[in-house]
Amino acid sequence: MKSIYKKLTTLMGVCTILFMVGSCSIDEVVDPNGPSVNGVQNNASKGQLNELVVGVESTMRSGLGIETTASGTMARELYLFDADPRNTGDLLGKDGIGLDNNSFYSTAQWNGSYRCIKNANLLINGAANTEAVTEAERNGYLGYAKTVQAYEFIQLLKSYGRVRLDVEDPDNLGPILEFDQAMAEVRALLDEAQGNLSAAGASFPFSLSDGFEGFDTPSTFLQFNRALAAMAAVYDGDGAAALTALSNSYFDLNGDLTIGPKHVFGLGGGDQPNPVFRVPSTPENVNNGDQIIVHNSWIADAEAGDTRVDAKTAPRPDPSSQDGLSGTHETRLYATNVSPIDILRNEELILLYAEASILAGNLQDAEDALNIIRNAASLPDYGGAQTAEALTTELLRQRRYSLWCENHRMFDLRRYGLSSTLPIDRPGDQIFNVLPVPLSENE
Amino acid sequence: MKMEQYLLKGTFSVLFLCMPLMIFSQGTITGKVTDADNLPLPGVTIIEMGTNNGTTTDFDGEYSLNVQNFPATLQFSFLGYATVERSVTGPTSLNVVMEESATGLEEVVVTGLGTSIKRSNLANAVATVSSEELVGTTAQTTVDGALYGKVPGVNITSSSGAPGGGFALRLRGVSSINGNNQPLIIVDGVYYNNVEIPSGLRFASGANRGNEENASNRLADLDPNDIDNIEVLKGSSAAAIYGQRGNAGVIIITTKRGKLGKTKIDFSQDVGFNTIMNPLGLRPWTAESVESVFDATERAKFEATISERGSLYDYEDIIYGETGLITETRLSATGGNEKTKFYLGGGYRDEEGIIKNTGFDRLSLRVNIEHRISDVFDFTSTTNYTRSNSSRSFTGNENEGGLSYGYTLAFTRPWNNLFPDENGNYPNNPNYPGNPIFVRDNAKNEDSNNRIVQGLSLNTKLYTDDVNRVRLVFSGGLDYLANQTYVYVPETHQAQIGGQGGFIAVGKNNFTQWNGQAIAIWNHDAMQGDLGLTTQAGITYLDQEANLVNSRGALLAAGQTSVDQSVNQTIDQFRSEEQDFGYFAQVEGNYKDRFIATLGYRLDKSSRNGDPNKFYGFPKASLAVNMTNFDFWNVEAISQLKLRAAYGETGNPAGFGATFTSLGTSNIGGNIGQSVLGSKGDPEVEPETAQELEVGFDMGLFGNRVSIEATYYNKQVKDLILTRALPASSGFTQETTNLADLRNQGVELALQSIVFDEEDFSWKSGVQFYLNRSEVTRLDVPAFPQPGAGFGLGLGTFFIEEGKPVTQLVGNLDLDGDGTSTPTQVGNVEPDFQMAFNNNMTLFGQVDVSFLLQWKKGGENLNLSKFLTDLGQTTPDLETAAGQERLGTPANALRFVEPAGYLRLREAAVYYRLPSETISSLFGDTVEGIKLGVSGRNIFTITDYSSYDPEVSVNGGAGLSSGIEVTPFPSAKQFYFHLNVNF
Repeated sequence: MKSIYKKLTTLMGVCTILFMVGSCSIDEVVDPNGPSVNGVQNNASKGQLNELVVGVESTMRSGLGIETTASGTMARELYLFDADPRNTGDLLGKDGIGLDNNSFYSTAQWNGSYRCIKNANLLINGAANTEAVTEAERNGYLGYAKTVQAYEFIQLLKSYGRVRLDVEDPDNLGPILEFDQAMAEVRALLDEAQGNLSAAGASFPFSLSDGFEGFDTPSTFLQFNRALAAMAAVYDGDGAAALTALSNSYFDLNGDLTIGPKHVFGLGGGDQPNPVFRVPSTPENVNNGDQIIVHNSWIADAEAGDTRVDAKTAPRPDPSSQDGLSGTHETRLYATNVSPIDILRNEELILLYAEASILAGNLQDAEDALNIIRNAASLPDYGGAQTAEALTTELLRQRRYSLWCENHRMFDLRRYGLSSTLPIDRPGDQIFNVLPVPLSENE
Repeated sequence: MKMEQYLLKGTFSVLFLCMPLMIFSQGTITGKVTDADNLPLPGVTIIEMGTNNGTTTDFDGEYSLNVQNFPATLQFSFLGYATVERSVTGPTSLNVVMEESATGLEEVVVTGLGTSIKRSNLANAVATVSSEELVGTTAQTTVDGALYGKVPGVNITSSSGAPGGGFALRLRGVSSINGNNQPLIIVDGVYYNNVEIPSGLRFASGANRGNEENASNRLADLDPNDIDNIEVLKGSSAAAIYGQRGNAGVIIITTKRGKLGKTKIDFSQDVGFNTIMNPLGLRPWTAESVESVFDATERAKFEATISERGSLYDYEDIIYGETGLITETRLSATGGNEKTKFYLGGGYRDEEGIIKNTGFDRLSLRVNIEHRISDVFDFTSTTNYTRSNSSRSFTGNENEGGLSYGYTLAFTRPWNNLFPDENGNYPNNPNYPGNPIFVRDNAKNEDSNNRIVQGLSLNTKLYTDDVNRVRLVFSGGLDYLANQTYVYVPETHQAQIGGQGGFIAVGKNNFTQWNGQAIAIWNHDAMQGDLGLTTQAGITYLDQEANLVNSRGALLAAGQTSVDQSVNQTIDQFRSEEQDFGYFAQVEGNYKDRFIATLGYRLDKSSRNGDPNKFYGFPKASLAVNMTNFDFWNVEAISQLKLRAAYGETGNPAGFGATFTSLGTSNIGGNIGQSVLGSKGDPEVEPETAQELEVGFDMGLFGNRVSIEATYYNKQVKDLILTRALPASSGFTQETTNLADLRNQGVELALQSIVFDEEDFSWKSGVQFYLNRSEVTRLDVPAFPQPGAGFGLGLGTFFIEEGKPVTQLVGNLDLDGDGTSTPTQVGNVEPDFQMAFNNNMTLFGQVDVSFLLQWKKGGENLNLSKFLTDLGQTTPDLETAAGQERLGTPANALRFVEPAGYLRLREAAVYYRLPSETISSLFGDTVEGIKLGVSGRNIFTITDYSSYDPEVSVNGGAGLSSGIEVTPFPSAKQFYFHLNVNF
C-alpha cells in the first residue's frame, strides 16, 4: 500500500506543478481597435485634441439626412420614397398612426447631435486638463467647441422643441429644458464662446476642413459664432440683439448669397457622403425607389418665374406613386453625393435680418432685404403691404423657397403657429410639427 | 460488486488488455460473440464481475478469458448493445448473442471533462443524438439543421433558407441576451468556432448592422456525416464543469472512430434537389384593381402585358422558383488492430439553392487515429480539413440598396418586363432601385472557408492496482478558420448608377482558437468494490484570436471585380483576443449502481471580465437513485426507475469589448478625427451566471421496451449582461453591463417504445414534448427595447421588462384611443410547447421506413415582409376584403404580429437493403451490403403563418433575434435519392 501513496503523492506533485505553470496571469486588456476615451481627458497632446476637433466637425453631419427629410416630410415640403415605409406612413400620420419615440426618424438626429456635443465636451475637458497648449490655444479649442455645441442645440430645439443642455456627465444628466429657457441658455453659451474666441489669438492650433474656409481663424470663426447668435436671437424673438449680432457676422446684404461655412463630404474611410443627395432620374434610368419627391404644393404655390424652382427641382420622367402619394418633381438640390451642404449661408442671414427687422419694427429694412432675396430668384420687388403681418407672410414664403429641403419649414410654421395650414394629402393623414424626445431619455 | 461503471467502454476498452492479470488456479472460458444477424462483434468488453479481470473479443468476435474462481459472472458489454451477464460454474465454451440496445440506457455519456458514465446512472437529462438519428433518415447540410426535433429542450431557428444554413440553437430558453447565446460546441475536445462573419454587404444594401447581412454560422463547416454522436448538455446542472463557457449549454460532438477488425469501406452517393417550400403567389390583379390602386397609366401597362404574353410576370417564381441540384458523395474507411485504429472520411457536398447562382459546397476530409503506444500511453488524434464555399445572394433587410429580392419583389409591379433585351441590357425597375434579375445574374455575395480542426488527446495510465486506477489525460486542440467574403455589386446596378458607382467588399478574416486541458483521474474502489469513486482534477486554458479586415471599393472601373479597381476605398479592421483559464475538480461516487452522486467545482477567469484575474466559482452536485437496483425492488413490469436531481452553476463573460469605452475614426476633409462610438463600456463588468436545478425520473417498462424520461428544470440567470439604450443625450446610445436576472423553467418529456419487434416487422416510436417559460425577474433600469433586434417600438421589437418573458414582442400602441401610445406586448416568440414524433419501421428485415414530425405550438412572429408588400400593394391577399381591411389599419406591431406555430414533416425516408444472397450472387464477396433509398426534408408544413417559413430571423442567430421577419431567403424542401455500398 505504501507504494500507492508514494505514487499518488508524486502525481499530486506533478499536478501542482502543472497548475502553477498553467496559472499564468491574464494581462489587462487594452482595446486593440481604437484609443480610449479616458486617454484624451488627461494630458492630451495637441495631436489628440486636434483629432477631437476633426471628430466634432465630422459628427456635426451625423443625423443630418434623416433630420432634413423627416422634418421636410412633416412640413409637406417633400416625400421620401424609399425602402422604409415609415417615411410615407408615420411622418404623415397615416391612418391615425402617431409619431413613435423609438423609430429612426425620432432618434437619428437626437443621437447624431448629441454625439457631436459629447465630442465637443471631450474636447473642452481635454483642452482644460492638459499642459500641452497655451492659454490662447486653449481658448481656441473652447470657443470652437462651445460654438458647435450651441449650433447643435439650436438644431435639436428646432426639431424637438426641447433639449437637454447639461450633458457633461453621462451619469448625471441635467433636466430636459423647454424651448424658451433652453434658447436663452444657448444664447449665453454662444456669448461665452465669443469670449473664448476673442482671447484665442490670431490663429487656431488646429485646422478645419475646406467647409470652414474663410472661417478658420478665431476672428473669422467668431463671425460664424455671431451669425448663430443672430439666429438664436431671432428664434428667441429678440430682434434688436439679432441685428447687433448680425453686424458682427459675415452677413452682407450685397454679398454673395452662398457665403458661409459648409458641411463637406467625402467617400473615403471614416467620412460620410451627402445624405440628402439623391440620384437624379433620367428617362433611361428612372429613380423612383430612393428619391426625394417635391411636394406638389411647393411647385404649385411658387410665383411664376421663381428660378429657385428650376434650380432645386426637376420633373420626374416617370412619376410613379408610392403609398398613395405622388409628385411631379424630384430633388436637384445637390449635384453629387459629395456636394457640400450649407450650415448657415448669407442668404439665410439676409432672411434672418429681414425677420429681425420685422421684430424690431424696421419694416423698410425688412422689405429691402426680402427684395434682395426675391431679385436673386428673378422675381420683382415685393408689392404687398408694408405691415409686420404681411411682411412676415412674405418672409415665410421666401424662406420656404430659399431654404427648401434644408430643415426649416417645419420649425418656421411651428414658431408662427401655422402648421395647421398645411395640406392633407390622404384622408386619415395628420400633421405633426415636432418630434417626440426619444424613449431612451427615460422621461 | 459491480465494476463496469468505472470502465470506459468503447474507446478505453483496449486498456483492459494491458492490465496485469494475476493467474492462479484458473479455468479458461472461450467463445464467440455475435450480433443478432450472427455477424461477429469485435471489441466487446468481457469482464469477470467483481474483479479487474477482463478481455475483449478479437476480429472474429472470439475471446478467451482466464477465470480464477468459479462460479463467476461474466459481463459482456459493447457500445450500442444491451449488456449481457452470464454465470459460469467452470471452464466452458460460451457463445453470446448481443442485441442492439433499444433504449440507449447502456450507452456512455461524457459528464466530466475526462470521464464518462453509463446513461442509466446519469443524474441529468443529457440528450444523445446518434449518427443514425442525425443523418440516418435523410441527408443534412449542417449539424444544427439536422438536430430539429431530435433533442427535447432545444429550440432551433433558421435565420435563412440559403444553402449552407444560418441557424440559431437555444437550449432551455434564452440564457443570455447580449452575450453568447449559442451553446458551446466541442468537437473531439476542440472548442469549435461558430461565428457568423459579416461581409460588408450592408455598405451597399443599407442594412443596419452586420447581423442583417444573412451570413451563415460556421458550424456549417462540420460535415454531419462524420459525426458518431452528439451529446447535448442542456442546462447549467449538466454543463457546470464547463464553467464560464457553459451558460447556454454545451454540445459535445464526437466524430467517428476506427473499429477493430477488417477494414470496412463505405461509399454513399446522394442525389437530390431543393425547391421552394411554400411559394406565396401573386396578387390576382385585375385591370380594375390596378387602376384603383395606382392609376390609368399603370392599368394600360397591365393590359399591355396581359395582351402581349397572356399573363403577368411572376417574379416570385422567376427568382425563387429554381430547382437546385444537390449531390453528395462520401467515402470512408475504418479499421484497425489492437494497437491502432483509424477512421478516414471524405465527403463532398454540392448544393444549389432555389435562387439561381446561389449554393453551398463543402469538401471535408477527416483522419481519426487512435494508437496505443505502450501499456501506459495511448493517444487519439482527430484531424479535419474543410473547404466550404457559399453563394448566398441578397436577401433580408436593406435600405435603398435595390439588392434584397424580397424588398424588390414587394414593390415590383408584375406587368413590368425586367428581363434583359437581346443585347443583354437589363431594363431599370421603375418601381424600386433594383432589377432582381440583374442582381441575380450579376451581383455576388460569396464566402469561402478553409478550416483545420485538430484535436489531440494523450492518455497516460500512471498506476493501476486492484482498487486504484490513475490516469493523466492531456487533451487540446486547434481550430483555425480562414474566411474570405466577397461582395460585388456592378456599377451598372440601378441603385449604384450616379451614387456609389459600383461596390466591392473583400473580407479576409482569420480566427485561431487554442484550447488545452490537463486532467488527473483517479478511480478507486472502496468498500470491497461496493463504492466506486472517480475523482478528477485539472486545468483548462482557452485562447481565441480574431482578425477581421474588410476592404471596400466604390466607383468601380467598368466591369472590374477587384477592390483596387475603384476610386473610393475604405478599410475596416477589427481585432479581438480572449483568454480563459480555469481549474476544476469533481468527485463521483457510485454505490452498487443504486446511489450515484457527483460533486464538482470549477474556478474560471477570463480576459473578457472587468477584472481579468478574478476567479469565479461554479459548483455542481447531483444524485441519481436507481430504485430497480435495490434488493427490495420486485415490480416486474418496471425494469428501470431512476430518480435524479442535479444542481449546477455556469457563467458567461461579457462579449469582447464590453469593458472598453473607445473612440472611432470620424474623418472630414481629409483630416483624421476621433469621435465617441455609440457604446459606453463597463470596466467593472462581471460574468453573468446561471444556477440551475433539474429534477426528474427515468423509467423503463417491460424490459425497457418502453422508456420514459421526465425532467423539470429551473434556471436562474443572475447579473444578466444587457446592452441597454442609454439616454442618447449622454453622447452614448448604449452600454453593456450587468443589469437583470432572468428565470427559465420548463419541462421535458420523452417516451421511447418498441411497438413491435418481430422478425418481419419492427417498429420503434418516440415522442418528445418540451416547453420553456422565461421571465425577467429583476431589472435595474427602466424597461427598454433591445438594441439591435427589431425595428423599434413603432413596428415592434424585443423589449426587456421586469415580470415579462424575455422573448416578448412589444410595440407602441394606443389601444384605449387616448392619443398616447404605450409599449404593449403583442406577442411572444417562445412557443407554448414543442413536440416531435419519430418512427422507425423495418419490414421483412429489408425495408426501413422512418419519419419525423415536428409540432411547434404557439409563439408569434413579426412579419414585416408584409409591411413592405402591403406598401407595394403586392401582398397576395390584397384582392380580398380582409386584405383591404388590413391596409386601412395603422402600421404598428399589432398589425404585423402573426401566429408562428406549425406542424412539419421534418424528415421521412424509405430505404431498401438488398438481401445478402442477391448481393453475393451479383458481386460475390467484394460487396457486403447495398442500400437504396429515397428521402425528403421539410416535406410539408401546416401553419397559419402567412410568409415563407415560421422559422425566420432577420438578425441572424446571435442574441435575441429570431421571430422577426424581413424578406428572408425562402426556405426550401429537399428530396433525395440515396445509394450506399459497404465493402
